[in-house]
Amino acid sequence: MRTTRRGVLAGGLAAVTATGAPGIIRAQAQPARARTIRAVMHADLRVLDPIWTTANITAYHGAMIYDALFAMDANFEPRPQMVGKWRVSDDKRSYTFELREGLKFSDGTSVMADDCVASLRRWAVRDGAGQHLFRRVTDTPVVDDKTFRIVLSEPYGLLIGALAKLSTSNCWMMRKKEAESDPNQQIRETVGSGPFLYNRDETRPGNRYVYDRNPNYVPRSEPASGLAGGKVVKVDRVVFENIGDEQTSLAALQNGEIDFFEVPPQDLVPDLEKDQNLEIRVLNKTGHIGFMRMNFLHPPFDNVEARRGMQHLVNQADVMRAIFGESKYWQRCGAYFACGTPMENDANTDWFKGGPNLAKAKEFFGKSGYDGRPVVVLQPTDHYFGNPAGMFIAQWLRQAGVNVDLAASDWGAVLNRRAVKKPPNDGGWNIFSTTATGEAFSNPINFSGHAANGDKAWFGWPSNERQEKLRDDWALADTLEERKRIARDMQANAWDYVHHLYLGQFFRASAWRKTVSGVIGMPEIVPFWNMEKKG
Amino acid sequence: MATATAGAFVAAEAPSRRRGARLRRFIRRNPTLFAGGAILSLVALVALVAPLIAGDPLTMQPAQRLRPPSEANWLGTDNLGRDVFSRTVYGARVSLFVGLSVASFSVVVGLFIGLLTGYFRRVDAVAMRLMDGLMAIPAILLAIALVALTRASVMTVIVAITIPEVPRVVRLVRSVVLSVREAPYVEAAIAGGTPVWKILFRHILPNTVPPLIVQATYICASAILIEAALSFLGAGTPPEIPTWGNMIAQSRLFLSRAPWTIFAPGIALAVVVLAVNLLGDGLRDRLDPRLARRM
Amino acid sequence: MLAYIARRLASTVLVMGIVGVFVFLLLHLSPGDPAAIIAGDNATPEQIAGIRQRLGLEDPLPVQFLRWAVAVVQGDLGISIFSNEPVIKLIGQRIEPTLSLALTTLIVAVTLAVTFGVLAAWRAGSWIDRSLMVVSVLGFSVPVFVVGYMLIYVFAITLRWLPVQGYAPLGEGFGPWIERLVLPSIALGLAYVALIARITRTAMLDVLAEDYIRTAKAKGVATAPMLLKHALKNAGVPIITVIGIGVALLIGGVVITETVFNIPGVGRLVVDAISKRDYPIIQGVILLFSGVYVVVNLMVDLTYTVLDPRIRY
Repeated sequence: MRTTRRGVLAGGLAAVTATGAPGIIRAQAQPARARTIRAVMHADLRVLDPIWTTANITAYHGAMIYDALFAMDANFEPRPQMVGKWRVSDDKRSYTFELREGLKFSDGTSVMADDCVASLRRWAVRDGAGQHLFRRVTDTPVVDDKTFRIVLSEPYGLLIGALAKLSTSNCWMMRKKEAESDPNQQIRETVGSGPFLYNRDETRPGNRYVYDRNPNYVPRSEPASGLAGGKVVKVDRVVFENIGDEQTSLAALQNGEIDFFEVPPQDLVPDLEKDQNLEIRVLNKTGHIGFMRMNFLHPPFDNVEARRGMQHLVNQADVMRAIFGESKYWQRCGAYFACGTPMENDANTDWFKGGPNLAKAKEFFGKSGYDGRPVVVLQPTDHYFGNPAGMFIAQWLRQAGVNVDLAASDWGAVLNRRAVKKPPNDGGWNIFSTTATGEAFSNPINFSGHAANGDKAWFGWPSNERQEKLRDDWALADTLEERKRIARDMQANAWDYVHHLYLGQFFRASAWRKTVSGVIGMPEIVPFWNMEKKG
Repeated sequence: MATATAGAFVAAEAPSRRRGARLRRFIRRNPTLFAGGAILSLVALVALVAPLIAGDPLTMQPAQRLRPPSEANWLGTDNLGRDVFSRTVYGARVSLFVGLSVASFSVVVGLFIGLLTGYFRRVDAVAMRLMDGLMAIPAILLAIALVALTRASVMTVIVAITIPEVPRVVRLVRSVVLSVREAPYVEAAIAGGTPVWKILFRHILPNTVPPLIVQATYICASAILIEAALSFLGAGTPPEIPTWGNMIAQSRLFLSRAPWTIFAPGIALAVVVLAVNLLGDGLRDRLDPRLARRM
Repeated sequence: MLAYIARRLASTVLVMGIVGVFVFLLLHLSPGDPAAIIAGDNATPEQIAGIRQRLGLEDPLPVQFLRWAVAVVQGDLGISIFSNEPVIKLIGQRIEPTLSLALTTLIVAVTLAVTFGVLAAWRAGSWIDRSLMVVSVLGFSVPVFVVGYMLIYVFAITLRWLPVQGYAPLGEGFGPWIERLVLPSIALGLAYVALIARITRTAMLDVLAEDYIRTAKAKGVATAPMLLKHALKNAGVPIITVIGIGVALLIGGVVITETVFNIPGVGRLVVDAISKRDYPIIQGVILLFSGVYVVVNLMVDLTYTVLDPRIRY
């Protein structure tokens, strides 16, 4: 019955030219400037399917128009969001969830249990944490319209945490229709049950993305906390402006042409702090980690001694200073699961505390039998972090007497080349660097960069059996204490075989005009509910 | 332009006088040529002796970033703690190298294709459509695409800027060839059974030289500017290598906080491009008598 | 005349075909993979491979080319890899800002440049002439983006006369529209002014030396009417020629100006598309720009016959 109703509705929307804006909720006319928040985010929204891509900007989009079963509150505790009541069976192998009342998709239909089951399954195909969880899921029966179960083959303590996970891909609930489509193909519809509606008519891809308040959204009654609690939208419209040029964005913010600038150039933050009209705050308290990957498949870094050589060359302060200047917004960090996170520890960090050591690095490179072949360092010239990082890595290596081929290209070409497993002189590579949030690093399972299963691991393809074993142990551990203990072992091991290396932890401040208030600070996602705008 | 001949050179030869007076007269008659040439010679000299007057342009010392001009760093340091003076001086090498390479490559390639298409009717139709096609693609987009899609290096940038310039040179050369080909002495040579390469080199090539020299200076100036534009769009020479263009592009965030990072390469770039343009104007006036009489 | 136009049209189509082949080969033979960009930073190689297959990027090149070419001939530029929107629609959304910028720039530049050029020729050798020529050479010598930042700094941030960035559609009123186009037009027009002023001056000098102008002068025709009516009309051919050449300059400048001033035009569309390897958009926009260039130059050629009846084909 329900399917038919939707079928009719969907049939009315031609596949390609579909307005996306649901038939029953017309695109709003221009709301007053005062009720509109214009924001410049860290990237252009390129893909609209938050399950399909792990790009953060798409997760922001997801948080606008979709809702989740559970969500992390300000203390990083998962709280029910779409779920009303839920319970775990005594043997901890069956979870029963009941959706709360009043949940509606933007096409007017109610959110049903089978929508959620289908969404879970699509997410579990794409997401690392989802895959890890679903290896233990035997069934997901629908009990009634509003109730469904997850049945496990063995107890899995991370289940609720995975459903509420902050790092991409988040577990958003979509209609069954989209959720049942091929997980490897991005969905084109933008029908969700979240606090905002995607206004496709007003949106200009690559220029601006428009979200209107969803008048039919029923927020929870609790106050907002992190991504959990009541998502009350207090403006009529939010526009993501894609200005592209940082200098121009900054001028626009100072001139009041935009209200919110997610990542102003960090070098200029001290200047912005002097502007009386602006509020500057770090929203992601776990910050970001800049890190470099070494290619385990090819010399010299197929040899652990060479990786140890690199380990003794890294000077985090160099890179951090170059990008952020002398500032309170960065710190050196030697914790494998990032600093300021529950799994932070100091196991096996003497090499880090000692700081860079050129003599030792040379010694290790010597031991590795380094033969003078050029080390290919990928340098994405249009990436705020990868660009200087590449130059420093090259400089350190040269100081240690290692030949370097600094391969400059744009970020797009780096993404392509880093996937090449062939030798460095045949289109492959030895080193590249990028960033991820501290939140991502804090979880050994959720973050694909922590995998050490060789060929199947993330780019660089680190291989270490003991590490893989420890990751599984961590996931199945019962208590936080036990996880922390295993995390120590994992860190000690990782720094021993040198899984990858960190180039510093930093906290990107956001800036907004003082007319805006109610900004919620969380890692991974900037929520636009709860935000207010005066004047 | 097409009618310009090597005769302009001969006409310019004045009877011998004392050197000083000759020089003064040359300057008075060709102020732009002299100004452009003098500035360029100076910059070229600086570029040549760069290692003698400048320090290390590459090593980054973040602890000393954005220092204002001082005794240790005459023009201050940039955001990575590199010495701006050294980078500006070494930048002259790369920027001039880019300008000159683009100018000479496009002239050589364009001359070759232009001579062939102008002389051989059969090649002409095909080659000129190809050239039209190349010319229709916006130069800067072609260059961005080429650099973005292949590896960023000085060589890639040179090639990327050269390609769109070639068809313009081809057109110029072709028009000269077409007009000279009909000249009685060329027709006589053809009738007399002179080999084609000899006709091309002895009779036609010399006529293309004056307009090409002028064209080459303009290409050189525009190449230096396009390199800067490419750097601005993130598709220029590798950031490690100092060119004025990428120094300006990389420092644009610091315009108000550390203006020296942008002024030094900015002024250098504007002065050199200006000088090249002046030189081009001066050469045109000298080599093209039709225009020269009015200057 | 008709035969000439037909011949020119045919060669235009041929040229566009060549452009198509160039662009396609350029994009598809070089590294960079839209699939990797779509998938996001933390994606696994398997996810990326899956996406490649979906996008049809695993097919042989000739197959991909034919598929694209056949569609283009039917007026279909394909669908953006990233936004899933038809390329035609995306270009349609972006064409107004680019056209507005190009037109205001053209009007500002031609007006200023022709005035400068005529004045300089009229008083050739005077201080007016010299200073105008210095300014015009300077216009060639400063990168567009530097001019842009300077203008923003002075007129938007310091004096607060004009907005920093953005674009307001003409539909929202002439005031907001022109307000946001002033600075970009000046930044973009500077090089153009320089170019046209120089050519105008040269062309005017040629014409002023002709006998009939001397006759007019001798007859006591007043200066202004003489300059405008006789001279400028005859100087039209080189001016028009240069506008034709200048379209290429303008298109190149639009790409940078739109980036500096955040104008949501076709130039930014294609720069973004290049960085993310959105092949259908890159191909579509380059075809469009090339088409504009070819058509404008075609019109320029045809204008000759109107301006100068001596030219016959």
